[in-house]
Amino acid sequence: MSDERPDPGELQRVLEAARAVALRTEAARRLELGAGEAVLRSVVDAAVSLFDAEAASIALYDSSVDRLVFLVAAGDQGQGVVGLSIGPDQGLVGYVFQTGQPLALSDVQRDPRFGRAFAEQTAYVPRSIVAVPLLDEQGTVGVLEVLDKRDSSAFTLRDIELASVFARQAAVAIRASRVERESVVLLEAVLRATLGDEAAPASIDALLADLTDDLSRDDPGALWTLVEQVARVRRADPAQLSLVTDLIAVLADHAERSRSGRRGRRAP
Amino acid sequence: MTDEALLPAWSEPFAGERRDRLSHLPPFGRLDREWAWGGSDGTGVTVAIIDSGIERDHPDVGGRLVRSVVVELDEDGEPVVRDDVEARDVVGHGTACAGIIHGLAPGADLLSVRVLGPDNRGKGAVFAAGLSWAIEAGAGVVNLSLSSKSEAMFGAFHELADRAYFANTLLVSAANNYPGASYPSLFAAVVSVAAHDAADPAVYLYNPDPPVEFGAHGVDVEVAWRGGARMVATGNSFAAPHIAGYAALIRSKHPEASPFEVKAILAATADNARPRG
Repeated sequence: MSDERPDPGELQRVLEAARAVALRTEAARRLELGAGEAVLRSVVDAAVSLFDAEAASIALYDSSVDRLVFLVAAGDQGQGVVGLSIGPDQGLVGYVFQTGQPLALSDVQRDPRFGRAFAEQTAYVPRSIVAVPLLDEQGTVGVLEVLDKRDSSAFTLRDIELASVFARQAAVAIRASRVERESVVLLEAVLRATLGDEAAPASIDALLADLTDDLSRDDPGALWTLVEQVARVRRADPAQLSLVTDLIAVLADHAERSRSGRRGRRAP
Repeated sequence: MTDEALLPAWSEPFAGERRDRLSHLPPFGRLDREWAWGGSDGTGVTVAIIDSGIERDHPDVGGRLVRSVVVELDEDGEPVVRDDVEARDVVGHGTACAGIIHGLAPGADLLSVRVLGPDNRGKGAVFAAGLSWAIEAGAGVVNLSLSSKSEAMFGAFHELADRAYFANTLLVSAANNYPGASYPSLFAAVVSVAAHDAADPAVYLYNPDPPVEFGAHGVDVEVAWRGGARMVATGNSFAAPHIAGYAALIRSKHPEASPFEVKAILAATADNARPRG
């Protein structure tokens, strides 16, 4: 690879392909921005209401800091945890993360050392907990925990199973939002392979930046307007979405009638 | 047939006078729990617990912890096993498993293999290295209340499950709590265990429809935990040590029984398989 200079025509084709990938990536980014977190939020909201629990939260592993970071929480007692993080081997959440095994505990506070310092940081110390791993093909990416069922002192095997269903939903959402980041890595690998070893890494970075900067610049083009609107619709709650769908149906119907009206006028 | 040398090597144990050496257990028809482990307390059996460590001084462990090791990755990313002189449990989970096993088989020696470390990225490899070490150490029973979801570890764990089986080490593995492959809990050579809801540690059930072959007490189990504490916990993680404890009793009383025979004895003495009439 290193002793062959890239053919200029081939390079052009690769750059066009790379631009197409970058375009899709940017579109995916704009569509998913906040959508992944919205799904995670809806998962913890649903978990709290289904279990009639005091709180639920999701922690995701961030490899850049080697910490489990609490991203979203639900329930009156749960909000204190958002933004906090723990080591991936700390406490019950760390155990579930590392082993991939879910767990339910009653009477957490009977262990004086059981994550108490951390729990007090969140301003809420639970009595009972169910924690299940968020899994994708590569392994565990985070943990969903539900704290304190109001009507019961303990979580059951059935609760573990139900929580696991929520965890799967969350894992799917996380995966979707990671597609965009992976696309950038892919793009870089393609460029590196094409330009060969002669291209200094700095020039590849510059080329990549050029391609993507161009795309993320404020573009008055109809494409980005449409993408932003679709993204907004995707973030809408079900009631809003239903309203929008109804409106679009009316508009489509209207457009169809006026078009056939025009056709009618054109065809004598 | 008269010339033994013509037999394939793997037929040798079954040939001629060598057959006399194949002494075997009595028929299963007469198996009951009294025969299986009556009078046994697990003496002479070493049970390795691959988990978060075991707290040496926890009352539920009864001073039976004979050795503690921890597996970590070195700077080259290779797993290394070293003695854990402090005998720490970083979570409480391993102590919980140890307490259950000690409660059933108080005479068994316990071996702690801590595979949870700060570097999560190596956990599959660390887990595998810990299991490999426990087999080499001659454990008669290994409790695995954890599993790996990593497809990349399928081969390594499959090989370890086979190696354990041939080394006369019985692996008892908690089934994952929800569908999906996890290793080594789904391999035929291991005893895989899930929780039943009978609220009785003496009850265990055999499932003739694998992969999960045994059900044991795993709901609202009073367990030991870190810091000398106890708590109530639910999960397949706590069902597996019950079967591991009974297996230790059987291995103590019947040291000649191989891993599959221990599994057969467990099946024959399960609550759903008691002799008719």
